Amino acid sequence: MSEEHAAEIQMRKSKKPFYFNTSEHLLRIGREKAANLSELLEALRRCPADSVFQHTFRTLQEHHFIRRGFSNDFAHWALSACNEPALAERLAGVDVRDFTSLEDLRQSLVSVLEDYVQHNPDAATRKADEAFYFCASDIVVLPTSFVPDTLPGFADGLRRVSIHSIHHHFIEARLRLKLMSNDFSQWLLEEMSLPDAARAVNHIDIYTATMDNVRQQIVRIVERAVQ
Amino acid sequence: MNPTQSIAENTASTTTAETSAPAAVTPAVERRQSLRDYRTPPAPAPPARLDDYQEIIGQANLDSLRFLARDLKGKTIKMVNSTAVGGGVAEMLNCLVPMLTELEVPTHWDVITGGNDFFEVTKAFHNALQGNDYQLTKHVQEIFLMYNDQNMRRMQFNEDLVVIHDPQPAALVRARGDTASHWVWRCHIDLSHPNPEVWGFLRPYVEQYDAAIFSSQAFARQLPISQYLFYPCIDPLSEKNKELDDSTVQAVCDEFGVDRTRPIVLQVSRFDRAKDPVGVIQAYKLAKKYVDCQLVMAGGGASDDPEGAAVLQEVKAAAGDDPDIIILDLPPWCALEINALQRASTLVVQKSIKEGFGLTVTEALWKGKPTIASAVGGIPNQIIHKQTGVLVHSVEGCAYQIRYLLTHADFAKRLGENGREHVKENFLMTTNVKRWLLLFGILSGNQAATLPGVE
Repeated sequence: MSEEHAAEIQMRKSKKPFYFNTSEHLLRIGREKAANLSELLEALRRCPADSVFQHTFRTLQEHHFIRRGFSNDFAHWALSACNEPALAERLAGVDVRDFTSLEDLRQSLVSVLEDYVQHNPDAATRKADEAFYFCASDIVVLPTSFVPDTLPGFADGLRRVSIHSIHHHFIEARLRLKLMSNDFSQWLLEEMSLPDAARAVNHIDIYTATMDNVRQQIVRIVERAVQ
Repeated sequence: MNPTQSIAENTASTTTAETSAPAAVTPAVERRQSLRDYRTPPAPAPPARLDDYQEIIGQANLDSLRFLARDLKGKTIKMVNSTAVGGGVAEMLNCLVPMLTELEVPTHWDVITGGNDFFEVTKAFHNALQGNDYQLTKHVQEIFLMYNDQNMRRMQFNEDLVVIHDPQPAALVRARGDTASHWVWRCHIDLSHPNPEVWGFLRPYVEQYDAAIFSSQAFARQLPISQYLFYPCIDPLSEKNKELDDSTVQAVCDEFGVDRTRPIVLQVSRFDRAKDPVGVIQAYKLAKKYVDCQLVMAGGGASDDPEGAAVLQEVKAAAGDDPDIIILDLPPWCALEINALQRASTLVVQKSIKEGFGLTVTEALWKGKPTIASAVGGIPNQIIHKQTGVLVHSVEGCAYQIRYLLTHADFAKRLGENGREHVKENFLMTTNVKRWLLLFGILSGNQAATLPGVE
């Protein structure tokens, strides 16, 4: 990239600034609980959508510091309480970023469980070491003081907002946008006309990195875009 | 070195030399004068200011607290419990109340009063609600309600949010009348298997609240009101958890005869069979066949509890004459010493048979210590197996994990790092403040709870 072009990108101002928000969650204890895989399947079919959200999207934020081996609460329980590693692997393979709807995500998890229970009837009714308690999230979205309209300001905001804000814009966003994307990529594409950077951000693997690693990767992509 | 130092005994009497201890040992109490006189509790430290937490949780998280509080400005909270000193609830309120007030959400803390008969009844209720047998008589119910009535008449409930802690003052909810205030019951005990008679008596009062809060999803009951999960938490700036310089850690180890050049395995807990201290010694002895280490068992409860004294004797008998087992019976105000021992340890064990939430585990994780703990009570909420610590189910399992973690430093280090992050995210006092602000905002209708993508 020529120096002039880099300088132009660095000085480029968006029409709409990027409003860094953050979301805070309050954990509600749900009514459903499961003592074995069959009960988990039944409860998963009827639990409210905010329980599906809690045990998939939201648990990633609660455990943002884990680099590998943690995907969602259902997979974790299948391994730790039911000792069913094959099921755990399949449930862990359900990637929240493939979904823009909680009902589709629920259906995907239900399908994995249905298939496993059908082929492993003994495992279905075997009592787990501990029960699975369904919870849900009450979510409150808060503003932050970071409202950049340039790429350097955007990178600065990325470095300084909380992990909750990164999760809010990068992971939860697809449920709001109904797009296989995230707020950062959308802004880079629509406001900064940087399709390559937008694509690169959207390709970051959240299951092999901590949320802080994800933050650093996004910052690096943005920095590269202005160099 | 005296392998079985008992501070409380030494403090109380000059004739406390243990038969198993070497004869010419200077009593621990004398050797400790240079560090701190612990025969009386130290004066409480002034409460920390919110800005003091900035280095720990970061400016962004502090800003979130202030944003949440801004919408509640001018509203007030009342907290009611049954004791001003001693116990985890009072300790938590001592920290929480000034923080909420600093956030301009004035919070008042009232303590109910009652005679010995009331507190005998409520202690029995407490045990019965955690599963003990109990005969609930009409007389007992009358005592409970009479003192709740007395406190209702004595107290005023003009605040916007009234929080009643634990079963003792639960019937105060009858004072809410037609006021617009919100009432929340914060239950700190395990209600998973309550005595049905006692729970049947209390339940109609609990159902009059707007919401109930439990410390673990496993401790809750099915209720017609909303139930929330507030994990117990620790204050990272308290004596028990604040950062210590190495010279303080070294001084405490020197005084207790703990050798920091060799691996240290630590369990901190009351001398109580539910904490399985003898099982810890058995696990240590199995592990010691293959790895060199010392075992430090630091706790209390032996001086004010006959059963605790008996357990301490069992522990000493199990320890035998092993000079690498150091048993410390400490008074409750030795928070700094516990902090230093936790920081000095190579790994921490909590091999409980029964446990509440297990705040000693939280403390160890916060200090970045690889932690081995039983999968009981609230411990699985804190220890994600092989991620933030390791869960065990037996003496043999505990022994194996001691060996493994003492010989796999990189894995142990990663557990410790993850454990600290887990506490930072979920179990710090600042997170607790955030939960209260969120709950108050949601109950007040100031903050809409929104789930993305759900129409």
